[in-house]
Amino acid sequence: MNFFNFFENDFIVILSEFFIFIAIIFLLSYGVIYSTSSFYKYPILSLNINLLALLVLFVAFLLCLNNSLPSIIIFNNLLVVDFFTTFVKISILLNSIFFTLMSFNYLEYNKINSFEFTILILLSILGMLLLVSSYDLLSLYLAIELMSLSFYILASYKIKSEFSGESGLKYFILGAFSSGLLLFGFSLLYGFTGMTNFEDIGKLILGIGSLSDTLSYKGIFIGIFFISIALLFKVGAAPFHMWAPDVYEGSPTPITALFSTLPKMTLLVLYIRLFFCTLYDFIILWQELFLICAIISMIWGSVAALSQKRIKRLMAYSGIVNVGYMLLGIASGSITSIVGLLLYLIIYIIMMLGFFSFILGMRKFKTYSLNNYLIDLLNIGKTNTIIAISLALILFSLSGIPPLAGFFSKLYLFFAIINSELYGSAILGVLSSALAAFYYIRIIKLMYFENLKKYILYKSIDQSNSYVLSISILLLFIFIVSSDALLFSCYKIGLVLSL
Amino acid sequence: MFEYPPILLSLITLPLLGILTIIILPQNQIYLTKLVGLIISLISFIVSSFLWLYFDLSTSRYQFVEHFFSVPYSNINVFIGVDGISLFFVLLTTFLIPLCLLASWDNVKTSVKEYNIAFLFMGFLLICVFTVLDVLFFYIFFESILIPMFFIIGIWGSRERKIRASYQFFLYTLIGSVLMLLAILIIYVQTGTTDVQILNTISFSVDLQFFLWLAFFASLAVKVPMLPVHLWLPEAHSEAPTAGSVILAGILLKMGSYGFLRFSIPMFPEASIYFTPLVYTLSAIAVIYTSLTTLRQVDMKRLIAYSSVAHMGFVTIGMFTINLQGIEGSIFLMLSHGIVSSALFLCIGVVYDRHKTRIINYYSGLTVVMPLYSIVFLFFILANMGLPGTSSFVSEFMVLIGAFKCNIFITILVASGGVFSAAYSLWLYNRVAFGNIRSTFINNFQDINRREFFIFLPCIILVLLMGIYPETFLKVMHVSVEHLVDQVH
Repeated sequence: MNFFNFFENDFIVILSEFFIFIAIIFLLSYGVIYSTSSFYKYPILSLNINLLALLVLFVAFLLCLNNSLPSIIIFNNLLVVDFFTTFVKISILLNSIFFTLMSFNYLEYNKINSFEFTILILLSILGMLLLVSSYDLLSLYLAIELMSLSFYILASYKIKSEFSGESGLKYFILGAFSSGLLLFGFSLLYGFTGMTNFEDIGKLILGIGSLSDTLSYKGIFIGIFFISIALLFKVGAAPFHMWAPDVYEGSPTPITALFSTLPKMTLLVLYIRLFFCTLYDFIILWQELFLICAIISMIWGSVAALSQKRIKRLMAYSGIVNVGYMLLGIASGSITSIVGLLLYLIIYIIMMLGFFSFILGMRKFKTYSLNNYLIDLLNIGKTNTIIAISLALILFSLSGIPPLAGFFSKLYLFFAIINSELYGSAILGVLSSALAAFYYIRIIKLMYFENLKKYILYKSIDQSNSYVLSISILLLFIFIVSSDALLFSCYKIGLVLSL
Repeated sequence: MFEYPPILLSLITLPLLGILTIIILPQNQIYLTKLVGLIISLISFIVSSFLWLYFDLSTSRYQFVEHFFSVPYSNINVFIGVDGISLFFVLLTTFLIPLCLLASWDNVKTSVKEYNIAFLFMGFLLICVFTVLDVLFFYIFFESILIPMFFIIGIWGSRERKIRASYQFFLYTLIGSVLMLLAILIIYVQTGTTDVQILNTISFSVDLQFFLWLAFFASLAVKVPMLPVHLWLPEAHSEAPTAGSVILAGILLKMGSYGFLRFSIPMFPEASIYFTPLVYTLSAIAVIYTSLTTLRQVDMKRLIAYSSVAHMGFVTIGMFTINLQGIEGSIFLMLSHGIVSSALFLCIGVVYDRHKTRIINYYSGLTVVMPLYSIVFLFFILANMGLPGTSSFVSEFMVLIGAFKCNIFITILVASGGVFSAAYSLWLYNRVAFGNIRSTFINNFQDINRREFFIFLPCIILVLLMGIYPETFLKVMHVSVEHLVDQVH
């Protein structure tokens, strides 16, 4: 009996991850051998490898689409594949395709000549895909580390910048610290239950509320507390958000775009898997924890964002606010909240992609430098009309003004929150969303109304970035007209998880 | 039963058609762009007048009801329809949009295409607001208006302060209205529907009604505007372009009071009666305080803006008397104010186009150089202060009758507001039209031209018609308002 027969169906289900893994090895050997060959005069391969990575991701996307088995638990209960993970994987892969498209421009102009940049991104995407489908504490930890380790290196990739080194180090120290907490929580959980599998733990702690004064209850309680804190660290929710603005600011801009979209999605999906499907009986613990963190993130994020001058820092705080809303969705703990949360995540990612493709695409005419400060966006409404309108739409959507998709995502989320009768947090949430509108609208004001006679000339936006920007706008509009498909998937996921 | 042609749907799609046409037109075809905008808005006015023609006076039910669209996977089926209350708001919208486009025919020179698109889009949203029979989608359209209005004030506004004004306008409205969204979600969770026709048959528990009423109040009061949150209005009015002020005073303010009539009063009757003293107090303070504030204004548009706040105070008082005269009076006052204050803003726009200032102190003796203009201006000033024979007199009189049945003290206070309005109106006219002629006006003057005359003419006719024979308008409302009053009592 050879290895492949032993895991008969298992490889078929995770073909996309498998493909990415093999492709990474091939790309790495291609890069190492070709770029060090003196015969070919040490060619620069970053653009080649990026293009190949695009292809790899596209093939992985197709493989993921063609996933034939609807629901299966594989590799000795280490990984799970069901409609939920497939859906999330498809969105992650699509997102990373757009992301790779966006970063061509950056690689070219900022002279990132080492091909490892793209390979690290592929590794982190592999980590995220595994994280989404992990069904065991062990595989969860390994996947989260694969993702984070690539991120630590990527954050400090801008070698010449002090900020980048600082951001990488900060991210690494706090990330390692939170990983330690996570591991501690896992070991407590394992120590008191003797299990690492999600399903087993879920079955064991079913109805454990009646045993609340036993030692093992308290042990599991503390374990879950540590796990939640560690995951809140990773996602950058408010009392544990200190790393986020610095890391966002210091990292190379495409990596900031990556940080603000994909890890958030994967981690929140993990939250759903871990807290909704496994640890639901400890809702007394994590609901309050998440509610407190959500409220602090929303309020602190919106207040702190008001005084920011740099675009990336502003986006970091806006990310904290949005994580606050998502945590509110998690805290409401119902099927409706899964629907609301997934919609919110997907629309948020679409908006963020649009925003960052704008930031990465607009280069100043002579210096070819990107826009770092908000004031750089001055008068874009007059110089680059169409792009400015697109950005304004994205910003209106981010601040949740009705006809745009961002409003509907907030609507579904708040519907879930009201449904769980968390009225106080709902009121705080909507008020902070009104507060958040201040700084989004400030950017629009800068683009259109400010009468300072300072015009910055821009190179015309890159083709690949313009594709991403227009696709993002198109998706935002399509959602207004027909949201059936997305809503259908979200409701189906809600049902699948509740069964 | 007689089958109507789909008037409302065509009314809603017409502006969208116009927007598409304008987008296709090339950037340099400015005249054609303006013409398309004007023609489309005129056609929609004609179409909307069919609503009145076919309107059945004998029923309080919603008429011309059509299915608009459904939200998938939820119990939200959005219908559109009008009744005696909303009919005239639709007509007011379609009446004012062409006037707005005509008023800015010559003086808007930058980004004409976007300007026309913004106004047509606003027309589309306003018609949706007044016809949609669904609380959630009322909210959505109500909020969507922020975007075009934000740009209209910010881009085509006249002065440096416009940035602050558009900012204030946006954020005041947004902060107020997010609470309304929560209230709507609570309604949806509790009842499983957001359809007004069904919600009117449901009664909420009294505690919940209080919360919902307050949440609706927070949003609608900003839009009306009631007293403590009226500060955005003078800013927005004085900084917006003429047409922007017209649409702001003419229709946007009415969305708030329409929301009270359509949702707050019939859906939360106990809470409405419970909070009536609050509304009365705020409105009475608004009438007296803002009427006095007008006396100290130097900017003509600000003066009219404050007078709008005073008139809207009358409107809210009339609405919360919850009797036939009061509510009909307040609807009638909204219509009358929609025409009169719009016309006053247009009057100010006329002199602003010629002399590029709105400061009252710079004007004097316009009667000598602009006789026709002075007559028109005098007419609307008299209409604004409620002279018998004009629409304002009828409506304010009805509001006062209605209020007298409920609360004599408040009636006396509010009636004194009428005196103040005479004071500031005449004071304004006196300073602008009479007195010595300024030498600049002698060198450089022009009376109103044909375009401006034809803007004012329909307004004058309507104001006189509403003042002399109000029954043409009131008979449409009787049954619906009677039904509303029955619902509360």
